[in-house]
Amino acid sequence: MERRVRGRLAVGPAGVLPTPVVAACLVILTACNASPSQDLVAKGRQIFFNETFQGNGRTCGTCHPAENNLTLDPAFIATLPPNDPLFVAEFNPDLRKNFENPRLMRQFGLILENLDGFADLDKKFVMRGVPHMLGLRTSVDSPQGPRTGWSGDGAPGDGSLRSFAIGAVIQHFTKTLNRIPGQDFRLPTEEELDAIEAFSLSLGRQQDLTLPLPLTGIVPKRGQEIFLDNSLGKCNRCHANAGANANFGGGNIGNANFNTGVENLPDQPADLSGELNPPDDGFRATGDGTFNTPPLVEAAETGPFFHNNAIETIEGAVAFYDGEAFNSSPAGKLLAAADPNGVGIELDGTQIVAIAAFLRVINALENIRQSVELLESSRSKGIVRRTEAKELITRSLNETQDSIRVLEGGGLHPEAVAHLREAQTFAKKAARSLFFRDRLTKQAIEEHNKARAQLVESS
Amino acid sequence: MHKLLAGVAVMGLWLGCLAQAHGQQMTEMYIPIGQSPGVSGKSSLAGAIEWVNPQKHTLAVSGPSGIQEILLTDRTRIWLDRTQARLPNLIGTQANLHKGLKVEVKFRDADKKRVAEWIKVQVTESGAPARKP
Repeated sequence: MERRVRGRLAVGPAGVLPTPVVAACLVILTACNASPSQDLVAKGRQIFFNETFQGNGRTCGTCHPAENNLTLDPAFIATLPPNDPLFVAEFNPDLRKNFENPRLMRQFGLILENLDGFADLDKKFVMRGVPHMLGLRTSVDSPQGPRTGWSGDGAPGDGSLRSFAIGAVIQHFTKTLNRIPGQDFRLPTEEELDAIEAFSLSLGRQQDLTLPLPLTGIVPKRGQEIFLDNSLGKCNRCHANAGANANFGGGNIGNANFNTGVENLPDQPADLSGELNPPDDGFRATGDGTFNTPPLVEAAETGPFFHNNAIETIEGAVAFYDGEAFNSSPAGKLLAAADPNGVGIELDGTQIVAIAAFLRVINALENIRQSVELLESSRSKGIVRRTEAKELITRSLNETQDSIRVLEGGGLHPEAVAHLREAQTFAKKAARSLFFRDRLTKQAIEEHNKARAQLVESS
Repeated sequence: MHKLLAGVAVMGLWLGCLAQAHGQQMTEMYIPIGQSPGVSGKSSLAGAIEWVNPQKHTLAVSGPSGIQEILLTDRTRIWLDRTQARLPNLIGTQANLHKGLKVEVKFRDADKKRVAEWIKVQVTESGAPARKP
């Protein structure tokens, strides 16, 4: 358990020791009291963002950058320098061919994967988006075993989240297409796998929401009703509580794979580019056409959407389920078969926007939760661990910025956005301040709480 | 009643199309014998090939608990592990399985230990003929 250390409150035992000495001792105690799991998470974070495994220069963070919600999109990619290891195929001659498609990467945020084997590199590959890693603790387990990656079978070995890094290093970190361990990269050690797994599981939400939430906004509130309505939106069947687990009425049945027909969408951006973009058959090789269900709480901030980044906006992603591709897919037919009128999902424009508004609001609420958690954590660092405190505040600022972005993107809750901007101002000052950091951080937290009160009624 | 029937129908259909959890096999090919995460030293069998019966699609591997007969199917993947020779691993066939070679076998059903899901065979540079990946 971490203990908060604040100069004013650190009174020595019976006044024997001067306050600064007590404060220093408490800081040391706090540092020593970091639990083994916290140490493992910290070690995992260090490996995730810094370890190249003696490969081509990429780290896990190259495709899962912390400052971009652990995912990639074209806007973020455009901010990277030309020598960023993400673009290794553009400057490493050994990886120029059949390792990435730089055009599809830069325009649509797509990464090349050889999920059906390495036998025909010219023609056999798929182009996939980078899934964010938020809320993994809630979204990997299923009765059939762990489901990782877009098709639920992303990890070699036992298929677990822990094993995922091994496959990622082989696919994405190699210096040449020979992929020889010990020469083109080194494989993560058992200890490193443990640490990366612990870090991965620490990211974002640690539990699912319990819907419905007492939302204040008229449109998001209606969006939530439609989301939960099993005769209208039907979203909650596969995304129970806006998470990644299915519930068909008999309780949570864990994370599942479905064929929702995304591959049959017309005019997919990557196809329009004229670049070779082979069909993606999903789970297994040869695949069965199914893909893994992602959580929705974090959706609004982590577009583009679906395994192939086919749709840019959250409104477009919701609208997909009203379309022909979904309703003629196995998953769409499944829903229609269970409907008394034989209807899959049929929504009008206002309803689509309402569901998206709901998703934007729950995303913002999660951002606020994380911002506050990070700010509270920064307060616990005291005056000595200033660098750590500053880093936590910076991470909090990223979350706050996301909450503003997702709300503004839907024209939602301008009063809450105003409070979030105030929170940003206080947090920025706190990051710079030596003496008033704690007070400013507290004010930032208060503004977050005010913003939250605009979105959801307090219980 | 109608809702109940609909729920049952959805559940049945859902279970019908439910995919089984599965380790991704493609990058597995490049993991050396004995290093497959969560498999090596736990549920796989490592040892030397005792004999191969191409007609019956079986092979016997001598492991820590004696000799075990293993069945190969059309879905069994065979990979040639050339990591020690610092060469890229290759896709192999049953023709690459020879007495004395070191292998690691992952079973389709870890409890029954009968049908091989994949077999890694350690070969040197001059290993038996194989298709290039």
